[in-house]
Amino acid sequence: MIELRDITKIYTRGSVTFTALKDISFNINKGDYCTVVGSSGAGKSTLLNIIAGLVHPDSGNIYYNRSDIYQQKAGDLNNYRRKRLGFVFQQFYLMPYLTVAENIRLACHNKQHAGKLDFYLGKFSLSGMGNKYPSELSVGEKQRTAFIRAIISEPEMLLADEPAGNLDPGNRSVLMNLIGEYHKNGGTVILVTHDPSMSEHSNISITLEKGMIQNNTMRVPSTQK
Amino acid sequence: MNALRLIIKELLYRKISSLIILFTVIIASAVSVGIYSLSKASENETRKIMREQGLNLYIFPKGTNLIDFYSANNTPCFPENYIHVLAESKTFDAVRHLTGILQVKYPDWKDHNGSSHQILLVGYKDEAMQRFLPEQEIMGTDVVKGTVQVGALVARNIPEGAQFTITGNDGRQYSFDIARRLGEGKGMIDQGVAFNLADLQMLLGMEGKINKIEALGCVCKDGRINNSRKQVQAIFADLEVTEISSIADARENQRLMMNKYGAFIIPFIIISCLLITGFLFYQNINARKYEIGLLKALGNSTGSILMMILAKAFILGLAGAVTGFFAGTLVAEYFGKEIFLFTATSIKPLWNLFWYSLLIFPVLWMLSSWIPALIASQTDAAKVLAEEY
Ligand SMILES: Nc1ncnc2c1ncn2[C@@H]1O[C@H](COP(=O)(O)OP(=O)(O)OP(=O)(O)O)[C@@H](O)[C@H]1O
Ligand SMILES: [Mg+2]
Repeated sequence: MIELRDITKIYTRGSVTFTALKDISFNINKGDYCTVVGSSGAGKSTLLNIIAGLVHPDSGNIYYNRSDIYQQKAGDLNNYRRKRLGFVFQQFYLMPYLTVAENIRLACHNKQHAGKLDFYLGKFSLSGMGNKYPSELSVGEKQRTAFIRAIISEPEMLLADEPAGNLDPGNRSVLMNLIGEYHKNGGTVILVTHDPSMSEHSNISITLEKGMIQNNTMRVPSTQK
Repeated sequence: MNALRLIIKELLYRKISSLIILFTVIIASAVSVGIYSLSKASENETRKIMREQGLNLYIFPKGTNLIDFYSANNTPCFPENYIHVLAESKTFDAVRHLTGILQVKYPDWKDHNGSSHQILLVGYKDEAMQRFLPEQEIMGTDVVKGTVQVGALVARNIPEGAQFTITGNDGRQYSFDIARRLGEGKGMIDQGVAFNLADLQMLLGMEGKINKIEALGCVCKDGRINNSRKQVQAIFADLEVTEISSIADARENQRLMMNKYGAFIIPFIIISCLLITGFLFYQNINARKYEIGLLKALGNSTGSILMMILAKAFILGLAGAVTGFFAGTLVAEYFGKEIFLFTATSIKPLWNLFWYSLLIFPVLWMLSSWIPALIASQTDAAKVLAEEY
């Protein structure tokens, strides 16, 4: 489903160049749960942003369903993000002036998605909170709102960058369960974390160090190739 | 999620910044509309004053001695339809507001006591519409057929409520309703009676004749009078043009002064307001960089982000333009009443200007948000979302 070939990313600051990723290649299939671990500065976020279509690699190709995402028109790249991907960030990025329901609707592209709003609010114990503003929510409620926003358009792939970085253990396990459930329902997950213990749900674990893959383990064969 | 709703909610959320931007549009629009309305009013006012005193250009047959207009009753006449020929000429644009006049001395008018007075009779033809010039407001009050307006000195000799009665050339008595008794100090017209031209021609048996055209010379580079004279004489070699320069100068000076004021103040205020707006928009997109990063990550295009910012500027520009228009008109009305005597009540909303400002201010404000909007649309979502909140 997603295929990276010799991805290299070089950042230039003035005259100093810094190779953030070097010759990264791997495949992720539909239904995989992949964790990318590594220490700070290893290039995890850069890698995820490249997959997300937000950062152009300096060389190499990345194919989504066999088409190179950086070879397509800007509009198609936007559509790729809009229709195929869901994002979970370390911060929630809820618009303070929009209600819970409105924040979620930012990610809805049609009536069908919007029609599921109540279902998800109920499922994630947010029923009756659709009209509240982010400032009126607890951290856990904000997190669940952001999570619904990520999955309401039923994306094929969920990209999460340190999603639990700011969460207490309780909310962290809630979030990890939500991601796990999304995966169980057939979704593909790429999770970036510096905490190796979070790779326990995954079937693929990639360890990055200094922009290079140190270790690429396949734990359990994915059930839904 | 409806884009307009997002824009409006954001705008209401960041109240202070939105209010200041709105305020800048209101100021810019109110000042422009106010000054423009006042300068229009001032122009009308000058015209009205001039009409009271006479227009600035006199066109009359060559060889007429101007002094005779007030003392003789046999100054040379020319056909009334000369006016129409002038008005119909494509090349005739240095002179406007052509008013045909027949002005004669009437040596023995009998008042109701039977005593005899020498008075001045002036017949005004309705102002000619110049077909090849943009239509303009008529300058003066035209005298309605069957009525007269009497000068202050004549009025003293007619009892309140009575008609004005005069013996015609044919020896018959003619009576006219008095539409207006003019105030004192209007110069020669104090001892005059204003008629509709046709009435006076009939009274004097001078059908189709006038002896003067009063008009307004344009403000031309190569000199008002030269230009006007050239144009008139190109059509009628037997006519002469004279300028009443003090009135013309006063009018021109006032106009130029108003225009100079406006030409300096309006752009100055508008540009200042635009700069403030540009700065506030820049701050706004800085404050919103996470929002914008998120919207981009969610797959919104560069163009849609650009539109989102520009639409906000458009909405504020539109709201400010409407508010500013009425504020400016109100202010102009308020000050106009103090400044202008004749036109005080005639300062009305200039609806043409309204439609223009509905177009101009939103567009200007969109332009001032253009650079911030471009910056916002180029937001690097990956970079922004990697920063600490
Ligand atoms: N926009 C940028 N310009 C220059 N250098 C950058 C940029 N983004 C990232 N880098 C550098 O690239 C390297 C990899 O960054 P990246 O954010 O991918 O690391 P990370 O593995 O996600 O780290 P962390 O766990 O701290 O989030 C870092 O050394 C970082 O300083
Ligand atoms: Mg990172």
